[in-house]
Amino acid sequence: MTRYVAKRILMSALTLLAIIFVLFVLIRIVPGDPFPVERMSAEMILQKREELGLNKPILEQFVNYMSMLLSGSFGNGTSLYNGAPIKPIMTACLINSFKIGVLSILCGTAVGLAIGIVAALNRGKFLDGLCTVVSILGVCIPSYVFMIFLQYFFAYKIPFFPYFFDPSNFLTSAVMPAMSLSLFAVSTIARFTRNEMIEVLNSDYVKLAEAKGLYGFELIRRHVLRNALIPIVTVIAPLVVDLLTGAMVIEKIYGINGVGKLMVDAIAGQGVDYNYVLALGIVFSALYIGVMLALDILYGIIDPRIRLAAKEGGA
Amino acid sequence: MKKILMAALLLVTMIFTGCGGSDNAGSDGKLNVMLGSNVVSLDSAQATDSVSFEVIADCIDGLMQLDAEGKAIPALAENYAVSTDGKTYTFHLRDAKWANGDPVTANDFVFAWRRHCQKAEEYSYVMGNTVACVKNADAVIKGADPTTLGVAALDDKTFVVELDAPVPFFLSLMAFPTFYPVNEKFYNSVEAGSYGTSPETFLSNGAFMLTSYIPGTANIQLKKNDSYWNAAQVAVDAFQYQVVSSSDNALTSFKNGTLNVVNIGGNQVAHVKQDAELAKNLKTFSSGYLYYLSFNQDPKNHHAGALANVNLRLAISNAVDRESLVDNFVMNGAKATYTAVPVDFAPNAETGKFFAEDQKRFSDVVSFNVDKARQYLEAAKGELGTDSFALNLIYSNDGGSATKIVQAVKSQVEENLPGVTINLQPMPKAEYLSNVTSNSYDIALVDWTPDYNDPMTFLTLWTTEGCEIAEHWSNAAYDQIIAACTTGEFADDYSARWNALYDAEEILLRNAVIAPLYTDANAVLISPNVTGIEFHAAGIDRVFKNVKLQ
Amino acid sequence: MTNYTPQGDDFEFIADRDISVDENFAAQGYWKGVAIHFFRNKFAVTGLILVGVIMTFAVLAPIVSTYGYQEIVSIVDAGGKEITAKSLSPQIGGGGADNLFADRTFLFGTDDMGRDLWTRTWQGARVSLIIAFVAIFIDMLIGTSYGLISGYFGGMVDNAMQRFIEIAGSIPTLVIISILAIFMEKGIGLVIASLLITEWIGMSKIARAECLKLKEREYVLASRTLGAGSFHIIFKQILPNTIGPIITQVMFSIPVAIFTEAFLSFVGVGIVLPQCSIGSLIEAGFNNVTILPYQILPPICVLAILMLGFNLIGDGFREALAPKLEDM
Repeated sequence: MTRYVAKRILMSALTLLAIIFVLFVLIRIVPGDPFPVERMSAEMILQKREELGLNKPILEQFVNYMSMLLSGSFGNGTSLYNGAPIKPIMTACLINSFKIGVLSILCGTAVGLAIGIVAALNRGKFLDGLCTVVSILGVCIPSYVFMIFLQYFFAYKIPFFPYFFDPSNFLTSAVMPAMSLSLFAVSTIARFTRNEMIEVLNSDYVKLAEAKGLYGFELIRRHVLRNALIPIVTVIAPLVVDLLTGAMVIEKIYGINGVGKLMVDAIAGQGVDYNYVLALGIVFSALYIGVMLALDILYGIIDPRIRLAAKEGGA
Repeated sequence: MKKILMAALLLVTMIFTGCGGSDNAGSDGKLNVMLGSNVVSLDSAQATDSVSFEVIADCIDGLMQLDAEGKAIPALAENYAVSTDGKTYTFHLRDAKWANGDPVTANDFVFAWRRHCQKAEEYSYVMGNTVACVKNADAVIKGADPTTLGVAALDDKTFVVELDAPVPFFLSLMAFPTFYPVNEKFYNSVEAGSYGTSPETFLSNGAFMLTSYIPGTANIQLKKNDSYWNAAQVAVDAFQYQVVSSSDNALTSFKNGTLNVVNIGGNQVAHVKQDAELAKNLKTFSSGYLYYLSFNQDPKNHHAGALANVNLRLAISNAVDRESLVDNFVMNGAKATYTAVPVDFAPNAETGKFFAEDQKRFSDVVSFNVDKARQYLEAAKGELGTDSFALNLIYSNDGGSATKIVQAVKSQVEENLPGVTINLQPMPKAEYLSNVTSNSYDIALVDWTPDYNDPMTFLTLWTTEGCEIAEHWSNAAYDQIIAACTTGEFADDYSARWNALYDAEEILLRNAVIAPLYTDANAVLISPNVTGIEFHAAGIDRVFKNVKLQ
Repeated sequence: MTNYTPQGDDFEFIADRDISVDENFAAQGYWKGVAIHFFRNKFAVTGLILVGVIMTFAVLAPIVSTYGYQEIVSIVDAGGKEITAKSLSPQIGGGGADNLFADRTFLFGTDDMGRDLWTRTWQGARVSLIIAFVAIFIDMLIGTSYGLISGYFGGMVDNAMQRFIEIAGSIPTLVIISILAIFMEKGIGLVIASLLITEWIGMSKIARAECLKLKEREYVLASRTLGAGSFHIIFKQILPNTIGPIITQVMFSIPVAIFTEAFLSFVGVGIVLPQCSIGSLIEAGFNNVTILPYQILPPICVLAILMLGFNLIGDGFREALAPKLEDM
């Protein structure tokens, strides 16, 4: 097991390194300079490039960048926000997005599982149809459209929640964005749960357990849910990262200072800031890889077959 | 399921309570104001947009400030003296304090002005010879020793500025953030590059101070600064800015009382006008923004071979129905404009008449006349030997009415000028700016914001040196007039200068360097209990320090 | 313990109970079986009808409409002023409406520029569908080839190709699109490029998994023994047998593509006005959602119906291809 984990961690680290390299090179070959040049003379531009170390070979620049990353800094911005250090600004945004993301994934998973289980247990009946419709709604309507309606009805028509995101009143103002973001998770998880549950319900071991006289809630809990949950974890993990990065429009509509909005500012704001694009790209990728790694390890713990396969493969 | 239950519950509540929303805004001494876009920078040397300028001006006072009518009145300067040749200004500062207890001294100004020139950011140009004409400013911007700048602190309370030429609007310039002081000790105490990025790294001496701000945030909180020299006059205790990007959200947040002051777009204005109760809160101000089409004449450019032809430019300019543009598409009280200087802007100091009062002055070259436009087009076709022109029109799609305007212009031009096609190319502000400043466009939709209340803020755009929007047009007679009016023979003769500026404008429009479209307006909804907001066409758009809440 | 001897009444005749008859592998073609299962599924048929209706409108409505989708409807009044038919709620011509355009029909109303929303909605649906089909078709070609080659050759080739996928797949979509947006001009090209870069990975994973299963089959072995080359086996022998799962994936990718297009146009890097797509129409409607709600409803409804339709079809396909789920 230790060996498997070590191998996975090493692979993930290498993947991340490769991604950082790819992003770094992409950002460096983007035409134009990473700082505003509107009123600069040719020699000023040269001087600025020298200052930022942009005329060194790209590999050397990359090594410098990596050593800066390893020392825990993302450097300074170029055109966004006075060229202030990136890390504190990005951290503040990440925290906001993270909180809302976690809230929506919790809410989405709970509701999704419930709908999926109810549907599977009532397969083919009216409740199943109802659950299918509810779960399919989530993939039919974009989350931002849902957000627009929520904002209109529950912040304007009945002022139940704040109309704009209010950082000093986090809980009430996080409800609407979290709800709209969780919509997609609800339907994905509900559909997946239903299918997995049905497969497990039809499996021989459940039939055996039934034959042994186990039924009702106990059967579901001990045999069905447990086995159905394993594959469901695989759907939830990528959703977590999607939520963090995909809340762009909702953050804009609701005025949340999050990473999605920061990314938009960095590419489409008043000054394109490549250093922010790079830093955010690295953080998003690292998050994704981290979640996938955690998932793999978790999977190894839950399901011994994977562990065994890895042992054989690794030996 | 929980969610469904909750939604059902809320739905029931909604049915029973009906339409909610109470207008309790401002009752707790708090003012909630909409911002149209993010603050870019709170460092007065780096800010480039009106939103940043506005927030800086809430927190920092300059030597002068503008009163409700736009006249310069003393702020940090208790009084001032001007030398007889108009080239030396001596300001005597009042006893004012920074929020950390330091006194505001003449050295804070010297430090800030030198720093602004030395940093040579976008707005350093206002120090130079096209605007404020501060002695040696252009040299320092180009890299000379900053101590040679024509500013000095005679003592802690006396600040002296030397100019290269008399500037008739110099005092009103002093209300502009680039001329604001910066506390040197404080500036040096914060980490490099982080000045103005949080309440801890920003020092106020004005009516308000930051309580919550991080760069890019949609929500900025300010509170009254008790150590402000004029604190007794400030009635607002707490003050919050909310960035709202959609005009529709702005209207709804006003209706339910979340915000007290919002800007709305044309569709919302039409809606508000149908509701008598709501319409009472609607006020419309000329914003002084001029929207115009800029034609790139650079022969290097892809299609510029065509646009270097004056008849083609005139054809396009005369094919646009500006009245229809403002009535049908902008709809917020904007005014069709046929001059290079916007309407209701830059009053003559002697007669009080606006510079562009007579909109028919150049009607033989700028008007809506399809027949004439087609004649120009035929002439252009003959001279260029081609029958069809495909031109790219670039614009910044960061909100506002630009998207609608360009579609309307495209539709009108293509309908009125057979053979001309216009391809729309939206882009983010940064990309747009880099295109217009580097000459890579055919036609650009430009909205130019006046920095100070004088026709010169527009007319310097088209000199050979004026680099902001590069039409690649150069005219010796035009340059000569502008030079004569800034530092030359007309600098100290007000009415001669005024008339010379009309001559310059005529050269510009006869050559159809630009096609002016309209002067934009701000349609603002203000809660009835909020009074005293001052709106200005140039410099700081909105001033909140004299606001009263009832 | 005595041996029990079965008696006659221990057994019962089961002919009157339903017994599962093997329809899949009966004397009928594979695709015929799939079709039978598919059309027996009423959800799938509903999906097919929904998508069919939208497509019919998307193809026909812009052609037969009296207005062009870019046309600004306007009249000139007595004073020579141009008045556009802006922001009119839905109306049927015949003088019933209280405006200057009472004789005109605008089934979905007009937008704030004075253009007919009926025409624009269907034109938008058309553009969105074209983008989705083109992008997903190319994705299918790339992804399938990549997956098949990777799975068939195995070993070093597979390893290298899978590492590449792992790296490419670990960069979040938003980051890729952001960098693309710096490089490319906004418009249909950018949308399709974004879809190309992000959607082929899922396809290739499925193709590879299928290929790993199929390459061990006897018929492949037989083919190889007879001297067939690798690419002949991959594309002539294995590919036809992977089509089922790949089509299912395509059916699920199309709604994702339409969704992505709507998202990109909404944030302003998609379709350039006055052209239109579902996303750009939603974006335009969003700016007036509370005061002119009828402007945002048609594109949202079309989007939702397309999503629903394609998802139902996808579900139907999946179940028809793996009938065990359906029949048990």
